[in-house]
Amino acid sequence: MLRRNIRMRREYLYRKSLEGKERLLYEKKRKIREALQEGKPIPTELRNEEAALRREIDLEDENTAVPRSHIDDEYAHAAEKDPKILLTTSRDPSAPLQQFVKELSFVFPNAQRMNRGGQVISEIIESCRAHDYTDVVLVHEHRGVPDGLIVSHLPYGPTAYFGLLNVVTRHEIKDRKAIGTMPEAYPHLIFDNFSTKLGERTANILKYLFPVPKPDTKRIVTFSNQSDYVSFRHHIYEKHGGPKSIELKEIGPRFELRLYQIKLGTVDQAEAQIEWVIRPYMNTSKKRKFLSD
Amino acid sequence: MADSTDAGEEALRRLMATYQPSFLAPNPALSETARAASRHLFSALRPFCPKSPLDQLLVDGFDAEQIWQQIDLQSQPLLSSLRRQVKHFAKNPKEISQLKVVPLGKKVEKEQEEWMEESDGFDEELEDDEEGEEKGEEEEGMEIEDEAEEQGGESGSEEESEEEDEEENGEDGEAGGGGIEDKFLKIDELTKYLEKEEENFENAEKDMRGKKDDEEDTEEEDDDDDDEEEEESDEDAEFGFADEDEEAEDMENARYEDFFGAKKGKYSKQKKAQLRQDSESSDDEDDDMEFKKQNKGTASTHQKQLEKIQSKIEQMEKANLEPKTWTMQGEVTAAKRPKNSALEVDLDFEHNVRPAPVITEEVTASIEDMIKKRITEGHFNDVQRAPKLPSKAPREVKELDDNKSKQGLAEIYEQEYVQKEDPTSAPLSFKDEQKQQASVLFKKLGLKLDALAHFSFAPKPVIEDMSVQINVPALAMEEIAPVAVSDAAMLAPEEVFDGKGDIKEETELTKEERKRRRANKKRKFKAAAVKKTGKKVQEVHCLTK
Repeated sequence: MLRRNIRMRREYLYRKSLEGKERLLYEKKRKIREALQEGKPIPTELRNEEAALRREIDLEDENTAVPRSHIDDEYAHAAEKDPKILLTTSRDPSAPLQQFVKELSFVFPNAQRMNRGGQVISEIIESCRAHDYTDVVLVHEHRGVPDGLIVSHLPYGPTAYFGLLNVVTRHEIKDRKAIGTMPEAYPHLIFDNFSTKLGERTANILKYLFPVPKPDTKRIVTFSNQSDYVSFRHHIYEKHGGPKSIELKEIGPRFELRLYQIKLGTVDQAEAQIEWVIRPYMNTSKKRKFLSD
Repeated sequence: MADSTDAGEEALRRLMATYQPSFLAPNPALSETARAASRHLFSALRPFCPKSPLDQLLVDGFDAEQIWQQIDLQSQPLLSSLRRQVKHFAKNPKEISQLKVVPLGKKVEKEQEEWMEESDGFDEELEDDEEGEEKGEEEEGMEIEDEAEEQGGESGSEEESEEEDEEENGEDGEAGGGGIEDKFLKIDELTKYLEKEEENFENAEKDMRGKKDDEEDTEEEDDDDDDEEEEESDEDAEFGFADEDEEAEDMENARYEDFFGAKKGKYSKQKKAQLRQDSESSDDEDDDMEFKKQNKGTASTHQKQLEKIQSKIEQMEKANLEPKTWTMQGEVTAAKRPKNSALEVDLDFEHNVRPAPVITEEVTASIEDMIKKRITEGHFNDVQRAPKLPSKAPREVKELDDNKSKQGLAEIYEQEYVQKEDPTSAPLSFKDEQKQQASVLFKKLGLKLDALAHFSFAPKPVIEDMSVQINVPALAMEEIAPVAVSDAAMLAPEEVFDGKGDIKEETELTKEERKRRRANKKRKFKAAAVKKTGKKVQEVHCLTK
């Protein structure tokens, strides 16, 4: 098992290193395809390789035409398998944090909550890998207020670090009967205003926490991005009158997420490569937006 | 007395006539004349200062220092009184015309009525002297007055520091309106100014003194010229005394406060007066300066602006010399600034991070609108299932060849008949060809994979390839077939010879076997011949018999 893991990790890293060459090849094929379609002469730099590339173009189908990157490898099986999530906290959680984590376990379908106790992170990750979990989610706090969320995809997948702001939990709403119980159907997802590459990446990381829903569910989970602050909302909708009358009822906790780091390894790999990290002290960071345009 | 006065005058004249540089070298005759002249002047001025302790300048046997001191004693009170007079005249120029040369005797008479009633003869003498010497003394008086005006230094040492200066100034005074006065310097204006200053000074002293001053002021204002002079002289006496005392005091106790006015109120005005007097006790240049100041005060704004700017510059330079405040220094830790000082200063930071969004109702409403829109569209970002690869082979699609059949109908029927007869000799169809190609390719691939997967040797697979082999000797096929291929490989043995059983050669046969083979051969030949010819052979036999 250990050796298998090591081998698979090496494979993954090797394939990541090949990405550059694959991308080049893909670009060349694309150019040839375009030239052929438009009827223009093939660019001169590709003359030598043109015949071989053309054969390849003829033989490839939709799956092989798109160049695969390590990102696709990370979520290669995510589309086929339903996600399995483990939720934990930092050590010695306060009561409000425990309540928040309990709520989150209802938000993510197929999520398991676990007491942290005195476990080390590497132990947690290993046991999750052994039990075929796809994601681990850690929640941190500051004096009872949840302030950090770490989403780690398991087979050596990416880890996204978020800061939480403006957290409103269900427990804070006093009127219990008005809220009712939390539905457990698989929800529809809405991702709004994630237009850059980094935004797409973040959206993917959050998207693959959820399974494939049935098309007629009434439960909606929304991640809406506004100037690098992602708002999480959880609604149930009802259509009363037929024509376009929709009533939204908010359930579940509501918070703002602020991405500050993406690492290309799991949580326990401290020396993993950093894909993106926030730069708050750069002079132009005030003017730039990273998740949208 | 006349002799003495004559002598004195002569001495004066002689002094004036001497070549100036000769004063530099010590000359006893010159000193005698100088002493005589100074004595004469002293006694001439004596009647004007009533309170002077010396009646006559004591010259014999006294050295220069002592003589100076005596002159000082007399001149100090005299100067202030003269100044006052000049001021007064500056204010009321008409009175100058009314001014009569008061016979000194009368004046002195009045004074001495108060003090010395015994010395009438003296008065008379003085009168005579004065009448004779009226003009001269007038002149001298005027000269001295002028001196006082122009030089004005109440520190008398400057005034009488040199006799030469005195006389020169006297000369200048004689020149009077002609030499000094030009468009800037006007004696009248000067006198007015001086009067004003004097009055201010007096007012300051009034505050200090009290009622006495008031009385005397009022007296002064009421009286006529002559009386004024008298009272002025009275005043002078008192004021002179006061001034003398004060000025002496001031000179002794000249302190920082006098110049920089540390204590407010009392000393500031004294200081001002002193400064004024100081400024007055300088040469013509300073007088010019005074007049210039007067002009400034009245006219140019440019000068005012310049002054303002200069004062600002001075302030700023002063500020630059001091150490900077903590807000102006670069990086200041808490230890380097006073306690709680950061609370008082209005600190402004440039925040480089966009602040966290405040979730207002508008924000929530906008989000919910977006959600509703998405629901109505049905546009969600759900996870899509990946399309699975097909486990079954795709159903065969029957391809129909649209082209016109190349074979004619008869040929088609022929082929069908042949197929029925001999099922093996069927021509390969289109699909079969493809299948064959596919199977050939797959076999090649399979060979390679097997080679990769197995450690043991696997031979090349036999690919059945149907082709017609012609039983042609090698020579004929040489061009086509490669040399390596011999005809032995081309044809199998049974293709070369098909026979059964034990095959023997003719040499190996016994006699009976030979006979038997011949008999068989004949029999076969006969049977074949009979078949061909039939009855012909038997008919031939019957005819011959």
